[in-house]
Amino acid sequence: MFSGSQFDATTAFSGGGFMASQSTNLSDSSPAPAKSRETQGLIPVTVKQISEASHSGDEKSNFVINGIDVNNVTLVGMMFEKTERTTDVNFVLDDGTGRIKCRRWVNESFDTKEMEEVQDGMYVRVYGHLKSFQGVKQLVAFSVRPVTNFDEISFHFIDCIHNHLHSKIKVEGITHANPSSGSSLIAPVKNASNGSQEPSSNPGYAQYSVDGLKDCDKLVIDYLQQHSDMSDERGIHVDELSRELKLPMDKIMLALKTLGDDGLVYSTIDDYHYKQA
Amino acid sequence: MDTSNPAVFVNAELLPNFIGKKVRTVVKVNQCDGGVTAAKSTDDKDLTVNGLPQVPLLNYVEVIGIAESNHSINAEIWTDFGTTFDTNSYNQLCQLANGEFRSLFL
Repeated sequence: MFSGSQFDATTAFSGGGFMASQSTNLSDSSPAPAKSRETQGLIPVTVKQISEASHSGDEKSNFVINGIDVNNVTLVGMMFEKTERTTDVNFVLDDGTGRIKCRRWVNESFDTKEMEEVQDGMYVRVYGHLKSFQGVKQLVAFSVRPVTNFDEISFHFIDCIHNHLHSKIKVEGITHANPSSGSSLIAPVKNASNGSQEPSSNPGYAQYSVDGLKDCDKLVIDYLQQHSDMSDERGIHVDELSRELKLPMDKIMLALKTLGDDGLVYSTIDDYHYKQA
Repeated sequence: MDTSNPAVFVNAELLPNFIGKKVRTVVKVNQCDGGVTAAKSTDDKDLTVNGLPQVPLLNYVEVIGIAESNHSINAEIWTDFGTTFDTNSYNQLCQLANGEFRSLFL
């Protein structure tokens, strides 16, 4: 049933009726509300994050972590108290940040075989669906695998941090021109998927506010601001921008086009010289 | 759901902050005498682990237990991580988990 390599969470739970495609963007949400397609993803989390998750609404059974609706999660931790019954296997997952009860329904021989491979005291990777039962958050697991390469443990927690940063940036619409020293150890989070979008989709951008500018745009406008010489009508050459900001030419030109469309910069003697407006 | 007894990710540098508390760390086993194991932490400092059985030398072992002093841990649970492990990533994870991203862990 589950190949484990290409798992599509949407089709597996399409019958549940609680898929986030029904979720609507709340009218009081802040700028850049999370796109609905994000809520169908599988998010790496720690038990601590789950314990702090809130319900997204009375009708829906979704949880909210980092401001994003969460249905399916993945965790890595140690298995304890494995209890096998005829239709299901219960266990407690302890990932070092907390313990959560998990349940794996066993319908087919594949399920039984999968659960036989994992024992108490083993590190396992669990994929599952968050549920609340009598106020207690639990996990309905649909995949439980033993961890064989223990770098997976380091990876999972770093993945949780990465995902946390990613959704924080998405929800708050903040762009970091330079990652802070703490997160510089991880590859910088880039809104790569938003690269081709119109900045005006962000309502905050309608007012002239630098919060609406993306990384490159902000770098370019800052540079132009710092190096503008009012007596020099020629402005700054794009080669200089590319060299000083260490950005590829196409990014520079795109940033200048965006800034130009919004009236923040203008070209001077030719298309390669720009000044701040 | 129980988050009352977390195990803190530590390396040798962070260990002194959590004496008496439950910690977890990965070490490389150098020597094993009776119940006392001499090991190297992910930030390349010497640590002592009490309560480990005979583990293969030079293997990486994850130890979860109570921190006894600045450089020793009383092991309660241990897991053999094998001969290869990315100590650099784990070390950075320890720093992040106790720094900017504490709230995700503790």
